Amino acid sequence: MGWASAMVVLPLATAFAVLAVPAARAAWIRWVALAGTGAHLVVSGLATAAYWQAASPDADFARTATAGKLYLVERHAWFPSLGIEYLVGVDGVSMAMVLLTSLVIFCGVLASWQVRDRAKEFFALLLLLVTGVFGVFVSFDLFLFFVFYEIAVLPMYLLIGIWGTGRKEMAAMKLTLMLMVGSALILVGFLALWWAAGGRTFDLTQLARFHYDPALQHWVFPVVFLGFGVLGALYPFHTWSPDGHASAPTAVSMLHAGVLMKLGGYGALRIGVYLLPEGARDWGLFFMALTTINILYGAFGAIRQTDLKYFTAYSSVSHCGFVLFGVASLNLLGAKGAVLQMVSHGVMTALFFALIGMVYGRTHTRMIPELGGLARTMPWLATCFYIGGMASLGLPGLSGFVAEAHVFLGGFFGNPFAPVAWTRALTVVATLSVVVTAVYVLRGLGAAFQGPVRDPEHLRLGDATLTERLSTGLLVAALVVAGVLPGLLIDLVEPPLFAVVNRLHALPGGP
Amino acid sequence: MPTLALPELLVLATALVVLVADLFVGQVGRRQLLPVALVGVCAALGALLAVVPDSGELLGGRFAVDPLGWWFKLALLGAAAGVLALAQPAWQGDGRAGPTLANRGEFLAVLLFNLAGMLVVPSARDAVTFYLALETATMPLFLLVAWRRNAAGAEAALKYLVVGALASAMLLYGLAWLYGVTGTLDLTAMAGRLPATPAAYLGLGLVVGGLGFKLTLAPLHFWAPQVYAGAPLPVAAWLGTASKGAAVAAVVLVLYRVAGPHAQGWTLAVALLAALTMTIGNLGAVVQTNVLRLLAFSAVSQAGYLLVGLCGATRDGAAAVTYYLLVYVVTNLGAFAAAAVVHHHTGSQDLAAFRGLSRRHPLLALAMMLALFGLAGIPPLGGFTGKFFLFAVAAQADLHGLVAVAAVNSTVSLYYYLRIVRQMYIEPDDSAAPATPTGLLPGLALVTATAGGIALGVVPWFYETVRAAAAGWP
Repeated sequence: MGWASAMVVLPLATAFAVLAVPAARAAWIRWVALAGTGAHLVVSGLATAAYWQAASPDADFARTATAGKLYLVERHAWFPSLGIEYLVGVDGVSMAMVLLTSLVIFCGVLASWQVRDRAKEFFALLLLLVTGVFGVFVSFDLFLFFVFYEIAVLPMYLLIGIWGTGRKEMAAMKLTLMLMVGSALILVGFLALWWAAGGRTFDLTQLARFHYDPALQHWVFPVVFLGFGVLGALYPFHTWSPDGHASAPTAVSMLHAGVLMKLGGYGALRIGVYLLPEGARDWGLFFMALTTINILYGAFGAIRQTDLKYFTAYSSVSHCGFVLFGVASLNLLGAKGAVLQMVSHGVMTALFFALIGMVYGRTHTRMIPELGGLARTMPWLATCFYIGGMASLGLPGLSGFVAEAHVFLGGFFGNPFAPVAWTRALTVVATLSVVVTAVYVLRGLGAAFQGPVRDPEHLRLGDATLTERLSTGLLVAALVVAGVLPGLLIDLVEPPLFAVVNRLHALPGGP
Repeated sequence: MPTLALPELLVLATALVVLVADLFVGQVGRRQLLPVALVGVCAALGALLAVVPDSGELLGGRFAVDPLGWWFKLALLGAAAGVLALAQPAWQGDGRAGPTLANRGEFLAVLLFNLAGMLVVPSARDAVTFYLALETATMPLFLLVAWRRNAAGAEAALKYLVVGALASAMLLYGLAWLYGVTGTLDLTAMAGRLPATPAAYLGLGLVVGGLGFKLTLAPLHFWAPQVYAGAPLPVAAWLGTASKGAAVAAVVLVLYRVAGPHAQGWTLAVALLAALTMTIGNLGAVVQTNVLRLLAFSAVSQAGYLLVGLCGATRDGAAAVTYYLLVYVVTNLGAFAAAAVVHHHTGSQDLAAFRGLSRRHPLLALAMMLALFGLAGIPPLGGFTGKFFLFAVAAQADLHGLVAVAAVNSTVSLYYYLRIVRQMYIEPDDSAAPATPTGLLPGLALVTATAGGIALGVVPWFYETVRAAAAGWP
């Protein structure tokens, strides 16, 4: 078994190990889950080293390549008559996403330390969900990709429905159905691409060598982009996200907002823009405009929220808009910014949801007006919240700045197939969201953590425990490292993005 | 070569044994006859697996086995074994669902005669054999539906009978037209002589319409919800699996063997029928609160998906339809088996009967959830791969709109399947609900169906073998 397969097998094996724990040993469940995800974090690190070793000699070729190269590949025939394969491997982008996922799930398990009700099913489903997420990032066969994509979405229904809060049944159903409609669109696109390329392979790298008819690209691209956009919270299909995230239990919100929503941007870039450059050329400006609405709508939505979870969820809609904005700007800076934003927002939002869970566990409320002055009793949690907030509003030195700077520069230099005045105008409008973000982040944090203590009961609450410090500390460290040493991440994700961009540049009418 | 018809003969022999034994054993002994019938069906299954060659013909070519027909028979016998197994509680004991089915003899014999007729359908090679096999595969169902002799059953059976008689007339009329335009009863010879005239299409349309009743194609599906809910639950399971399997075999026979060369002419009509059927089935199911009515509408929508595979009459289509039928039978049996256990203990057909099942009986709830996810087409279950292959056939025919309709329909179906999941997993348990022991045979059926549903989705052998079997198909 190679590195890429291990990414899928490890969480799945951990899920079964959790199920095998005797019911009388409830505490073991958490430890098994933690050991499995901890081991996974280590294995992901080792896999990155293995990838680095294999890929670094090719770094120069990548600049001019028009076909991406895969590393740590494993390939087995699955349904040979339709050309379906078990094809897993990694490139820089998927490696970065795998690292992000293994960090978030490890911290997610730590943040779920308090789950007692049906803990076995909870951790098993959580690990099944994350198996799907890892699977999507390492699979390069569209059929396999789709299988993992659905495995990543469906457990959410039970996780929110059983362990959620508030209007959880409604939120769970809405989320599941909306995401499934998205995946139905993706399926239509995949089958059309498969058949147009001869119906012999679902291998993404093979399909990328095929030149699709522009008329086909013209209708498949928006279908696929919208399909992924639903998961990436593309306006106006984002409405599942605030309800879903607000109702979900802590670890599920972390994983969902932190990683799962990134599958949308990942797919839109990796399959939408990469396979269908001419479709992207035709629709790039339209989606840039739509994602500009996304960015502003999410930011203005967040201002009005009083529930911390809705607050973070709307902020996620805005930040995920940056990802899709970067993808739609169709140049290297934008694409890099999109991937950096995926990682940055993934860590940041996982941190937010973890912290909200911890605050809620103490105060039993998430309503900002009922909180206040919490920094006095919970300095650790408040500090982490501030750091996350600063990353969110793009303070230099933290990961958000690097990502957003790339996205805005990408937008400003512009989609090469659209009038530059248009893309610049859109970028200027989108950049205004930074101001709005600063307003809601500072106001929200100020109201919750500064000022007078509204409820005297809150004075008796304690600060973060050891497990809580570990999970939030890891996430904060990741934000800082990505902000101070962005080169590490950029070197990782850049080579495969050249292939995407070079295909675009090879088009007639390109730069 | 009589070994060719050995499964059919074994089923008939078992039917006679059960019928005669019924005269002598009395009320108590009759309850032991179900295992006898099951052994007979399993023997037929064994004969099919071990003895029956994958091609050959009997009776001057009127009865023939081909590799794909072999798979249809496997699905039918598997469905029979499953239905007999899940009928055990209803047969042997008085549950809350009503008096034991064994109160009146002949149930098993009627069911087995019915099965024998179904098994002949994929082997029929001339119009008369075809018609007689289909009648044998349909008539006994009217009796079985009314078996409890209560008002709901009688009403359901009457409705079924009236619609069924109409459909049978359509089928016969259509076959007469086909005979008229080709001058032969031999189905294979018919294909060569079938002209592309309105008369031929009228004949085909009537035949497909007549079969559409059995296959619950919209708008001939409307009997299904009432009949499923009014019939004894094992009979509903029988209607939903084996009866539908026989209908699929018949439709494939007609559209491929007879009308295959004219695929260009009818593909669009079949695509529209598929889209209509799955949409009506799914929209109907969304509002149901009775689990059997829900499963009936779900079965209507599944018939729509199956039709997708017929578009273009390609080899891949024949393979995808056969494969999906296997998946559908296995998955639906799982759902019906779980519903049968719950129904037997609660006597309620309401969705709320599943409330809190995951706490009372976690494995039963898991099996039901996997069956429902299979029906909804969630990977890595067979329901997903099966649907994927069907949709791929539509993509091959460049019917991308149909793929979109079908894929969105799958999402709609997920809504109502999740309503049952919600009852089982999310709603709190009522402590007043009775315990639900599964029983040996239904438990076995559930385990087999669940394992089969997963294996069909993950192990490529099944699909690849079915596709190899479809080699002779255009």
